[in-house]
Amino acid sequence: MGTYKTVNPGNQPVWVNTSNCKACDICVSVCPSGVLGMKYESTSTLGAMISIDHPEACIGCNECELTCPDFAIYVADKAEYKAAGFSFAKLTDESKDRQSKIVANNYMSLSEKGVK
Amino acid sequence: MAFDYDKYLRLEKMPTLWCWGCGDGVILKAFIRAIDKMGVKQDDVCVVSGIGCSGRFSSYVDFNTIHTTHGRTVAYATGVKLANPDKLVICVAGDGDALAIGGNHTIHGCRRNIDMTLIVINNFIYGLTNSQTSPTTPQGMWTVTQKVGNIDPTFDTCDLAIASGASFVARETMLDPKKLEKMLIKAMQHKGFSMAEVLSNCHINLGRKNGMKNAMENLEWIDSITVSKKKYDAMTPEEQLNLLPTGILKEDTDADEYCDLYAEVQKVHQGERKRITQDDFVKKI
Repeated sequence: MGTYKTVNPGNQPVWVNTSNCKACDICVSVCPSGVLGMKYESTSTLGAMISIDHPEACIGCNECELTCPDFAIYVADKAEYKAAGFSFAKLTDESKDRQSKIVANNYMSLSEKGVK
Repeated sequence: MAFDYDKYLRLEKMPTLWCWGCGDGVILKAFIRAIDKMGVKQDDVCVVSGIGCSGRFSSYVDFNTIHTTHGRTVAYATGVKLANPDKLVICVAGDGDALAIGGNHTIHGCRRNIDMTLIVINNFIYGLTNSQTSPTTPQGMWTVTQKVGNIDPTFDTCDLAIASGASFVARETMLDPKKLEKMLIKAMQHKGFSMAEVLSNCHINLGRKNGMKNAMENLEWIDSITVSKKKYDAMTPEEQLNLLPTGILKEDTDADEYCDLYAEVQKVHQGERKRITQDDFVKKI
């Protein structure tokens, strides 16, 4: 049985329920601004687990939440997040560049070697 | 707080049994959001599913659900709908379930134009039983039953539904969950038989031997074979050859709905009218 975390764990723009994640890479592939990446994790089925490397670059587009097949990744509600005194970032060239590097690195975090 | 999926899920069944990256999960989420947007009570929804990976669909959602025998989703759902005409009935079937084993039930559901939604999750293969040829497997692809390449011509689900008389026919892919959600809302709100074909990926059983070993490569292939209906209509027949149009392909709100006709039969038995004659119908033959 997994744990279910649709509630924001503490003013995060994006958060993950690691007990539901199957490491399919889809969320990493749809992120426009290089927020996400895969990290090696020996206890996971596919040997990898999603990690949020750059939460400060999240633009709140919701693509990762919509395309996650396993109810594992969530993005903060825009109005609620603003009311708590935070705001999502704007899409910059730096974050676009980072995203293309992550995709070229086989969807792995840039701190990892991209071979599964 | 993100969107509250937990309200609509049977949490003790999570995480899902589907493979990593399976499109069924995306479709399940889009379906839950569509129900939430429509504002229908959970007790007023009935989800009927058959056998196959798509059959798991009814196990995960906390509505009235029936997990039926192979291919008989539309047959069971017809009974549910006739007994409860005010409920929202949704059938979920895969390409094998709806077109091969249950092909007969599907075409007769379309013919009767009974008010239900049939979501056909088309992943181009029999995924649950490991890669046998399905009626939608493209010619030339490797399957476990045709290891030298599939030679069987394919079914076009939407063309079949239009020809059989379904009053709402639409096709969408799981690549764009927002569009999919809008399409599902329209399909469920439509009065009459709605066929909603959703193209999905099976990189494990279809992709592995056909050069699409992970989810993204399979999704790119689905993207390359689909085009919006507007663009499709502007193309020449040669350009249309290897493409499938997405969007709403047919919407007919004037067709007779089966529950309404059945209510007339009930009136006859209650002595409110004599009998049903040919004069009751616009189309006589």
